[in-house]
Amino acid sequence: MTSLDTRVVVVGGGVTGVAVLRDLALRGVDAVLVERSDLGTGTSGRWHGLLHSGGRYAVRDEESARECIEENFVLRRIAPHTIEDLGGLFVLLPQDDPAYAEKFVVGCKAAGIPVEELTPAEARRREPLLVDGFEAAFAVPDGGIDSWALMRSMVADARARGARVLPRHPVVGFERDGDRLAAVRVRDLAGGEDVVIGCEWVVNAAGAWAGQVGALAEVPIHMIPGKGVMVVMASRHVRGVVNACRKPADGDIVVPQHEVAILGTTSVQVEDPDDVTVDPADVDRMIDMCAQMVPSLTHGRALRAFAGSRPLYKPPQQEGGSPPVNEDTQDTRAVSRTFTVLDHAERDGVANMFSIVGGKLTTCRQMAEALVDRLGARMGLTVPCTTAEVPLPGAEHGVHTLAAPLATVERDRAYGTLICECELVTAAQVREAVADGVVELEDLRRRLRLGYGPCQAAFCGWRAAAAVCERQLDAPEGRDAAPRPTKDTSPAADLSTGLARFLQERWRGQLTTIWGDQARQALLNHAIYRGIFDLAAEEPDEAAAWRTRGLGTRSDGPVEDPKSESLERAAGQREDPASKVGRELIGDVEGRAPSAGAESG
Amino acid sequence: MRADVVVVGAGPAGLAAAVRLAEGGRQVRLVARGQGFTHWGAGAVDVLGRVGGERVERPLDAIDRLGDGHPYRLVGPDAVRDGLDWFRDFAAAAGLDQVGDPERNRGQVTALGTLRPTCLVPAPAGGELRGRVAVLGFAGFRGFSAALCARGLGQAGYEATAGSVELPPWSHRLYFTAVELARAFDDGDFRARLAPALAKAAAGAEVAVVPAVLGLTGGHEPWADLERGAGLPLVEAALAPPSVPGLRLFAAWRRRLDELRVAWQLGFPAIGVDREGDRVIAVRCEGASRPVVIHCDEVVLATGGVAGHGIEANRDGSLTEVVAGLPVAGFADRTDFVAGRFLAAHPIGEAGVRVDGELRPTGDDGAPVLGNLRCVGGLLAGHDPTMEGSREGVALATTARVALTLSMTDQTDKAGPRR
Repeated sequence: MTSLDTRVVVVGGGVTGVAVLRDLALRGVDAVLVERSDLGTGTSGRWHGLLHSGGRYAVRDEESARECIEENFVLRRIAPHTIEDLGGLFVLLPQDDPAYAEKFVVGCKAAGIPVEELTPAEARRREPLLVDGFEAAFAVPDGGIDSWALMRSMVADARARGARVLPRHPVVGFERDGDRLAAVRVRDLAGGEDVVIGCEWVVNAAGAWAGQVGALAEVPIHMIPGKGVMVVMASRHVRGVVNACRKPADGDIVVPQHEVAILGTTSVQVEDPDDVTVDPADVDRMIDMCAQMVPSLTHGRALRAFAGSRPLYKPPQQEGGSPPVNEDTQDTRAVSRTFTVLDHAERDGVANMFSIVGGKLTTCRQMAEALVDRLGARMGLTVPCTTAEVPLPGAEHGVHTLAAPLATVERDRAYGTLICECELVTAAQVREAVADGVVELEDLRRRLRLGYGPCQAAFCGWRAAAAVCERQLDAPEGRDAAPRPTKDTSPAADLSTGLARFLQERWRGQLTTIWGDQARQALLNHAIYRGIFDLAAEEPDEAAAWRTRGLGTRSDGPVEDPKSESLERAAGQREDPASKVGRELIGDVEGRAPSAGAESG
Repeated sequence: MRADVVVVGAGPAGLAAAVRLAEGGRQVRLVARGQGFTHWGAGAVDVLGRVGGERVERPLDAIDRLGDGHPYRLVGPDAVRDGLDWFRDFAAAAGLDQVGDPERNRGQVTALGTLRPTCLVPAPAGGELRGRVAVLGFAGFRGFSAALCARGLGQAGYEATAGSVELPPWSHRLYFTAVELARAFDDGDFRARLAPALAKAAAGAEVAVVPAVLGLTGGHEPWADLERGAGLPLVEAALAPPSVPGLRLFAAWRRRLDELRVAWQLGFPAIGVDREGDRVIAVRCEGASRPVVIHCDEVVLATGGVAGHGIEANRDGSLTEVVAGLPVAGFADRTDFVAGRFLAAHPIGEAGVRVDGELRPTGDDGAPVLGNLRCVGGLLAGHDPTMEGSREGVALATTARVALTLSMTDQTDKAGPRR
């Protein structure tokens, strides 16, 4: 067992926890963030990528709408490199209620959302594939945002200011001292040992899992995980975000994101936030409903489908309520999308714990500010919040554009080093990620978008496994052309299981989209990995693998002691990661040019 | 347009069917949507690698353990032997010697350092791994990682080392594929300049594993020549598509079709048939500029399953056989396999057309629905070519059965009119 000390432990490595960590770091408060898996593996990584204008809440949830538009403008300022400035339309179809459109415009204006009714010709110019005969179209400043890039930037900024981050360190318990939590006990999944983090304050930012974390501290928090199903189409179909101008319902939004379009979404209460199964009927409904706005979706290629759990919060009666879940349909849309800070001292008699629940990615910074303001008041902190003014590392690159990665590959003539052609990931990017300690292919996916494109890892999976393997062999003394013995005597995980986990995750998303071209793609992928490469079918259960082995292939590396390495990372002694963040999205990473030269002989 | 037999499909089954029937004296026309599985596989002849997920040592002995509707159960082990013997002779005559034994599986080394179960492999993939194995990649070629392959072999118990060999100067320095690299190996000068570096990198090893890119148009000669130059056995590891060994084989098939004066057209998908009673009298194709009708006596359908475009999987869960609208057996509901594992079997891999013992498509009652159309290869129901590792074996065995049946039909025809 090892121990650490800090002032604040933040539980939860989603966008909320990360934003809280950065806020604390900017105010000079020492903090440690702990996360049960990799950063952004919960709701923050399982959503449609919409930077809300607030238009979706303009009619029924003015508070959320106002928060969204405020933060929309803040994020454009502090994190433009994570944002694609798509613009959005709300489209009124003939079958929709014209009265809703009137309320929509009124609501937008009341919330401060810039809204403009377009002529049909102008709307068609913006969105050529829009259905014929729509009644009206309203433009709002919706955008697209890459949540992993945003999280990486915030983490880099926080780390550069001394904050520590411990991924794959789930909370296993709290140590009490009277009415206080004296320490947080986490399990280092890589090293297998517990780490006890002594602290003055605990922030529960576990989102849809906040109830589970609360339970460990004997604090009741009633979360209502609201499952949303999304379908990924193989091309964008739309130029900007397209919303149906009606009361939010299933299948009313199309968000273009990188090379794909994401159709959303359902909103159904589930028991377990880890329940991210997808019903094929939901997939069909998403496509059919969204095709009412964009008919080309009907015959488009559906790549995969996935689900995420909204962190909806149900306040007890005494806290004042929001409308309940619809008992008949379990529809959670009536639950407000705003957020709530819970001070457990007044509420539950735990003197030094706060929770932050509800909210959404667009408002993560504002949520963090509200929480740290409350926490700071109790801590006696006088430093004001500056997260809305201080740009994140990477902001200097400006707004992300779809063509940027290709332009970079063209500029560097890096075609020969592409690991993933669909998402334009180069060998140098993978090498750099591995050098940063990322060796689990699933983590590479979140960092580099590896495997997201139409081929769903047919070619990038084994290439990335090779790049990880080569990099591990090369470490630490650099490339060595001489043959090396590779007889593997380490008992640790091997690359093929990391590859199998990566493929399984891609496959899970495709299970409900096996028809047409995607069926052929799936069979080709089988033919490659099972047919040609004879990858073993006995891959371990993913969940078990995370829990028992954690870092997976990391411990297979020739030099690194996983535990000491993770603590070293925790202590923030590595090279300033902020120097790299932000360039990953456009593929402009250090060391690429010389590496590319070496690759091409 | 007219032919005795129209063969639809240019994968291993369609190509073998066209050649065998033409060798038997039929006037054959081959049409296909595009290239087939030769380009997508490991370049070997898989007969039966696994049953129920378990690896199989003796594939023909394991046929009894397969389901009733499996193509091998319909044609029997002798058809498999016939198909493989015939293929081995065909390949040898084309300069593509095959190594292996239909009765026993062997391991074909892959880029992942695994040993995939198969029966026949091209000679360049047939060397035995023993002693110290040097796994050698070519600098700048991203289709093969010596480190990854050596690690896999190490886990399989071999003493494997990874090394890299610089390529002599050639035309594709910035960006090249396996096919372009294979073309470079067709050049004797290129090989002569590379051989010493290969020998040096393999110093101390008894055998070297290299990516399967050693020549494209020269059959196995570039491999044999490089082996002599390097002074140790070279074993080609199977790569992801496109398959260079498969391309070598495809070239041999094409040459043989030309020798036999078989008219063949790719980019020429069959989209329908004309029927007269229970017989097909013509195949309709989508030509480049207009539909083309080919009148014929017999049809061999080798369009592959869902993977080969022979069957369309629809969003509502239905399956459509695209040429003749044949009944398809397969999964009916997309909700059936929501909990599936990627590396385990999937119902869609087995989707196909049910046939009788003469490989004629059957309806629900088991009776043939068409009298002169036969299905071969991946189109057949009851087998999963990838998961059980049986693709080429089924193609060759079912083709052997069709060749036999139609040769007997010939004799019947000579004895008197059959219709």
